[in-house]
Amino acid sequence: MTRSRVVIIKAAGGIDPVGPADRPKLLRMFQRGFALLTGEPDDRGAVMSVFRPADRIGIKVNTIGGRAISTRPEVSLALAGWLAGSGLPEENIVVWDRTNRELRDAGYRLNRGPGGPQVFGTDTDGAGYGEELLAHLNIGSLFSKIQSNFVTASVSLAILKDHGLAGVTAGMKNYFGAIHNPNKYHDFHCDPFVAEVFDAPPVKAKHRLSILDALVVQYHRGPSFHPQWAEKFGGLVFGFDPVAADRVGWALVERFRAAKGLPSLKEEGREPAYLATAERMGLGRADLAAIETVEEAVP
Amino acid sequence: MKRREFLRDAAGAGLVIGTGLPSLCSNLHAFAEKGNLSHVEARYYKKLPDREIECELCPRACRLGDKERGYCGVRENEGGTYYTLVYGKACSVNIDPIEKKPFFHFLPGTTALSMASAGCNVNCKFCQNWEISQVRPEQVDHQDFAPETAAAQAEAYGCPSIAYTYTEPTVFFEYMYDTAVAARRRQVRSAVVTAGHINPQPLADLVRVVDAIKVDLKAFNQKFYADYVRGELKTVLETIRTVAKSKAWLEIVYLVIPTLNDSLADIREMARWVKNEAGDRVPLHFSRFQPLYLVKNLPPTPVSTLEAARDTALSEGLKFVYLGNVPGHPGENTYCPGCAKPVIRRTGFNVDDIQIKGGRCKSCGAPIAGVWA
Repeated sequence: MTRSRVVIIKAAGGIDPVGPADRPKLLRMFQRGFALLTGEPDDRGAVMSVFRPADRIGIKVNTIGGRAISTRPEVSLALAGWLAGSGLPEENIVVWDRTNRELRDAGYRLNRGPGGPQVFGTDTDGAGYGEELLAHLNIGSLFSKIQSNFVTASVSLAILKDHGLAGVTAGMKNYFGAIHNPNKYHDFHCDPFVAEVFDAPPVKAKHRLSILDALVVQYHRGPSFHPQWAEKFGGLVFGFDPVAADRVGWALVERFRAAKGLPSLKEEGREPAYLATAERMGLGRADLAAIETVEEAVP
Repeated sequence: MKRREFLRDAAGAGLVIGTGLPSLCSNLHAFAEKGNLSHVEARYYKKLPDREIECELCPRACRLGDKERGYCGVRENEGGTYYTLVYGKACSVNIDPIEKKPFFHFLPGTTALSMASAGCNVNCKFCQNWEISQVRPEQVDHQDFAPETAAAQAEAYGCPSIAYTYTEPTVFFEYMYDTAVAARRRQVRSAVVTAGHINPQPLADLVRVVDAIKVDLKAFNQKFYADYVRGELKTVLETIRTVAKSKAWLEIVYLVIPTLNDSLADIREMARWVKNEAGDRVPLHFSRFQPLYLVKNLPPTPVSTLEAARDTALSEGLKFVYLGNVPGHPGENTYCPGCAKPVIRRTGFNVDDIQIKGGRCKSCGAPIAGVWA
């Protein structure tokens, strides 16, 4: 297996993720992240190397943390806008999560179109969960029809957080929001369940890209928001390899923890072992030495 | 009041009523906004710093940050206060024969107003009711059915008991407890059907307000509990011990799954344990497995396996050992431990004949353990 590339794009001078003036900066971050990840210098070439023009693209966000610590609408809508501006039909893009309530609580305005990317939860009329239980390895779940039926290509745009049980929640665990019973898969530090949900056909066959919203990283006592342990990192993490992207995210969490004198997740007995499991399952690289990490800042 | 009349009237009152389990599709397609769920502070938890809580209802001891839910999916931390989302929210209400639970020594031949809310604190891979137990409350139809309403309905429709069943009532503890209290005021009794994963304090409180508890003992080895239940055997055994010492009537069900928990050595050991810890008069039911949910690769339990299990338990000295889900089998009947004559004849959930008077065998006068009136 070749080395997996993960790209970290930071906003030079920091970024206010909720300020309208920062949308151009976010767009530059997506532009540079895609360029470095794909090797395609122009926007359209980069986007079309990842998606097909007819793709219906799901941007799976994580909004359980409310306004304070969720994938921000400014970020996901900037991504949707940039994809649309790079050759993909805007009406074929849906920003989604489990419930409309969580989306609203995180600051999203629901939109079933026409006009603009669609934004809605699985609990929207006409969506819902699939009718057939999908049994895969240790998983038995119903998958959101948004993931299983509607989209043809999937981006996991997750917030990067410490997680009391999983160790870290990032791009792979974000797909827990695509099943009806995520509460049943938090035993054993979510291992092997995070890897196995990802490995299930509705996810694995459609996942194209992980992007971690690391503008603000909850590096301790997550997944809830605690401002005293939230680092304004101002970065986005890009990776085709879902395991490698999350592994780099984990390293960021450890970096911030170490800077504050906190024990490592391993020392706390809750390192995200599901990443090693995912590597054994062939889903990607969990060894930092096997990951090429590129870090840049954009103005 | 006939069952048909109850169903008609209750449906007219907007209750979710079914003759069996609600269908998966109709339920999971009906979402409720969280505002339609209850917002009642939970019992049995402790507050921790930074708006965290630790649930003390069951041995999972879920430690949750703000906005997180427990393993059960029906209890949520909101700003450092823990709430039950299913108080007064019934996802299934039926009138069933008490034998369906099954209770064979508790008011035989009567009906129980049977109710459930969504959720469960284990995840049995062979769950028969996963469409309502392994989901979040938003994902199923539910209607307001307050404790007092449940008690009044049971009384009005001639049900001498309310059964908390179908899902795991431990996770709707507050709702069950308050309903049992309301029911007792009306001389309506309460019967609990549980997997037994509950902490000692809530269980001690529960046995004071309910009249019967049936515990599903899923196997007699921890590996099965870890692999197929996501639970702990020792907790279930402790629950059985506690109920056996209480005033609540106890029955035990053991679902026999081919190749997974049908070892006669385990069953023998289990029977000895039951006799020693709960007594030889505790009814023990060996139920027939049907392939469902995540265990579909195994056949239904052969009747011969069930018969062997029953023979083993009887040989260890248990007095009342039954077969379940085998309608018409003689192992459904209750036999007098004194004269060996059948004192209750059953066919499936129907009671055909009762030869017990004043808690004694009509034929020989031997006492028959149970709650008969």
